[in-house]
Amino acid sequence: MHEQHLESIMEPNLLNSRRRFLSLLVATPTLLGLAPGISHAEKLAVEKDTLKLGFIKLTDCAPLVIAKEKGFFEDEGLQVEVTAQSNWKVLLDNVITGNLDGAHMLSGQPIAATIGIGTEAHIVTPYTLDLNGNAITVSNSIWEKMQENDPDLDSDKPKHPISAAALKPITEDMLAEGKKLQMGMVFPVSTHNYEIRYWLAAAGIHPGFYSKTDLAGRTDAEVELSVTPPPQMPATLEAGTISGYCVGEPWNQQAVAKGIGVPVVTNSEIWKNNPEKVFGVTKKWADENPNTIVAVTKALIRAGKWLDETDASGKLVNREEACRILSQPNYVGADFEVIKNSMTGTFIFQKTDVQDMPDFNVFFKHDCSYPWYSDGVWFLTQMRRWGQITEAKPASWYAETVKKIYLPEVYLKAAKALIAEGHMTEDELPKTTDGYKVATKDFIDGNEYDGRKPIEYLNSFKIGIKDEAALSSR
Amino acid sequence: MAIKYKILKAINISGMNFLAPVVRLAVGEDPQKQLREIGRFIVVPALAFLAFLLLWSVLAPKHKTKAGEVPTPRVTWEATGGIWRFHDRETRKDEAYQFTGGQRLEALVAAKSRMAELDALETKAKAELATVEASSKEKYDAVVGPVKAAYDKARETTSESRRTRTEALKTEAAALANSGADAREEFIGHLKAAEVTTGKEKTDLDSLKDKYTEVQSIAFPETKKAQRAVTLLAEERQFLVKYIDMLGEGSREVKVTESKAKYDEAKTAFLNAGPDEDLFKLGSSLVKRQELMATTETSSYAKPWTLPKQIVRSLLCVFAGFLLSSLIAIPLGILCGLSPTFMAATAPFVALFKPVSPLVWLPIIMIIVGGFMPDPANHWLILLFGKIPFIGNYKIDPMFLSSAITVALCSLWATLVNTALGVGSVDKDHMNVARVLRLGFWSRLFKIVIPTALPLIFAGLRISLGVGWMVLVAAEILSTSEGIGKFVNDMYTNGSSQSFAQMFVVVFIVGIIGMILDRIMVIFQRLVSFDNASSAI
Repeated sequence: MHEQHLESIMEPNLLNSRRRFLSLLVATPTLLGLAPGISHAEKLAVEKDTLKLGFIKLTDCAPLVIAKEKGFFEDEGLQVEVTAQSNWKVLLDNVITGNLDGAHMLSGQPIAATIGIGTEAHIVTPYTLDLNGNAITVSNSIWEKMQENDPDLDSDKPKHPISAAALKPITEDMLAEGKKLQMGMVFPVSTHNYEIRYWLAAAGIHPGFYSKTDLAGRTDAEVELSVTPPPQMPATLEAGTISGYCVGEPWNQQAVAKGIGVPVVTNSEIWKNNPEKVFGVTKKWADENPNTIVAVTKALIRAGKWLDETDASGKLVNREEACRILSQPNYVGADFEVIKNSMTGTFIFQKTDVQDMPDFNVFFKHDCSYPWYSDGVWFLTQMRRWGQITEAKPASWYAETVKKIYLPEVYLKAAKALIAEGHMTEDELPKTTDGYKVATKDFIDGNEYDGRKPIEYLNSFKIGIKDEAALSSR
Repeated sequence: MAIKYKILKAINISGMNFLAPVVRLAVGEDPQKQLREIGRFIVVPALAFLAFLLLWSVLAPKHKTKAGEVPTPRVTWEATGGIWRFHDRETRKDEAYQFTGGQRLEALVAAKSRMAELDALETKAKAELATVEASSKEKYDAVVGPVKAAYDKARETTSESRRTRTEALKTEAAALANSGADAREEFIGHLKAAEVTTGKEKTDLDSLKDKYTEVQSIAFPETKKAQRAVTLLAEERQFLVKYIDMLGEGSREVKVTESKAKYDEAKTAFLNAGPDEDLFKLGSSLVKRQELMATTETSSYAKPWTLPKQIVRSLLCVFAGFLLSSLIAIPLGILCGLSPTFMAATAPFVALFKPVSPLVWLPIIMIIVGGFMPDPANHWLILLFGKIPFIGNYKIDPMFLSSAITVALCSLWATLVNTALGVGSVDKDHMNVARVLRLGFWSRLFKIVIPTALPLIFAGLRISLGVGWMVLVAAEILSTSEGIGKFVNDMYTNGSSQSFAQMFVVVFIVGIIGMILDRIMVIFQRLVSFDNASSAI
């Protein structure tokens, strides 16, 4: 039934004369706005027109904020309140209890909630908000020790990517003294947790297993990871409770600006163009509001496109304005200069080491916003690798689970409507038949990932839980 | 003269006795004495406050934090401007969305002319910034350059000398192959000495490096000021872009006109449709457009929370909690006062729960309240609050209720204990008279017990309200329920150059509101006291 309903609203006249007409009118205010009879683009009949969406103060919430501030939500007939949440747990609880209609979520969150790690609830996602955008920062003293261990790092512009190899002797020394290095990440099922684990494990440092009884994930750990909300990372690092952390922006640039730590590696160096945040809603909400979810996705796609717009020379043209908007106190609220550091195509590792990173934040390019099944499978494999999924599962389970969570059909409906309205072109749609990205070796350790072969992938790691090879065909 | 006594009485009741000498002086009563009193109760406190401001201004810049300098009174005062600007701009956007007709066009013209002015201002500010930046770059290079050069040189020599040492030791080690134990022992000594030298060199290098890092963080106030000017203008431009959009294309009027046009179009199509057209489809499309038109007409701008609105919500929350605590504590307190047995039964609970912190209560209550409201948006209680005028604008949600209940739980003890004390200390003679007059239980309660206990009950209520106000801010920080606490938490997490000072502003806002609430309770307390008992300030 819900399919049919959507079809019926997709087909009518989706011409795009409206915006252009209106912009003309705005230019001549005395003539403004009251001439009827123009052929309009058809709005979706949204089931709910005032929405409350949650976000965490991180620059990758940008598509939600931009869709509101640039009027993309309003174009879909939605009045949206975008409210900051204090941490990921509160945000998820608010989505589940219905205080929020939807939210900016960690990619792992819908997956974990659906398969029952932590709070259990069926969460779905039609839209990936961004790629990359995180970094691992270590404290000044750890950075000095790393420089001692690897003199190549002791320069104003060390060579990137920096692996955790120089960190290994530090952890070994600490272990010999009966201590463990403490590092922070933002949530047990966050991309940051898997990224910092990947980075550590790639250099042979064991970040610890989760198990039924060890929910902190510290079994066999050589480095202990703990949860700290993103905005509090710099303060916690400064207080010495942790010696390093993995977090999104602006909290790494904030550490540089305040001189309390040194970002050593970005997550795009750990896995090039890795999915980071998604827009999540409950399955119940998606079922009850089939048109609204498409309308929201449409607005988000337009926001993502706007954020990634470039001029002929490839310079990102709208990012300054986006930073200005994000620096408002009700959004990210950090200083414009700090947000700008990472959002406008550069990344500051140290005051002397400013690197060009045009892809540090990707909101639309590289088929970013499409909800790829292969992305979901990667998170599932990492959850299994570190023991958050406590039992071995067959390959088919991975494929089926991810189909329950990722909604490419909603994305495609939204995208096609935008194509009909002229806000998007056919060639901006990802070319895929099964929703899996092609196999890639763009990882810091060069290990190949193919979403269609989860079990083989799991068994290819030196550190991590391994499953029976026979499961791959089941 | 009667007016003088009236004023003096009002002053006395409101507990603002420091104003009394001013009134007395105005009517010419013993000027010397009054001047002395004014000196003591007005001039001295004012001077103390000035001294505080002075001390603050001097001490604040001395302490450098990683989040920036501790704001001085002046910076704090300027930060109120930032808070106000945000509020003002959001309010104007909200208005813009609702403007119609001439008012809208007028505002649009005004906004556009301001936008045109902004271009010139921005160019000027940017040029200014460029000059200042260039000059501070020169200064920076002048200061940092030599230190950096020294550090680089020292680093080179250090690593060079280390390399030479290692080479020498390696040669020595190679020669050891044929030597005996003594020579080998001696070599170990050399190794150790080399290590000591390396350590010493490293300490020297580190101190140079520290110096280098320190000079790197050299600040240029004039650059900051120029940058601030550019930021302010850029923020205004950002606002104007949105504001103009909301007055033009994005205004409700335009949207309503648009959807009305579409509706009319659909209606014409439906009414004039020929026999071979799908009337069902046209009809449903018409209904859908009618719905869209209706929602557009009632739509409003989703305005973010700003501090003034958050303050009102915090006040609502504290009063809700206070009301709840009074409703529980006063009857319980009366029972306790009347019956020593009941008091004995209650005592352990009071002793046990009184010291529990709001930070413990809140998560528990949030879970319990959440259990009652599986679908908060459609819960009858929330819908009921939503319909009440004024209060409905403040979005009463489970978080608000949890905060209010936490306030109630933490503040009810003072009222309970004071009420019990007040009721328990009713004069025996009064009770005997009541017995002689054969007054019933209720008459005794309302004619004798409560009136006698009232001053103490109000003393308890006053403490309760004070505690509640203190607890509330903490509860709001933890529950992220919109209000003053949420504002502080947001500013803390924002960590921008402005937010530190804005948190200082909140200290004063919370303090002033707390003071006003306290004064109000003092007035009530004095009004119900027969003996005009003075209360502590």
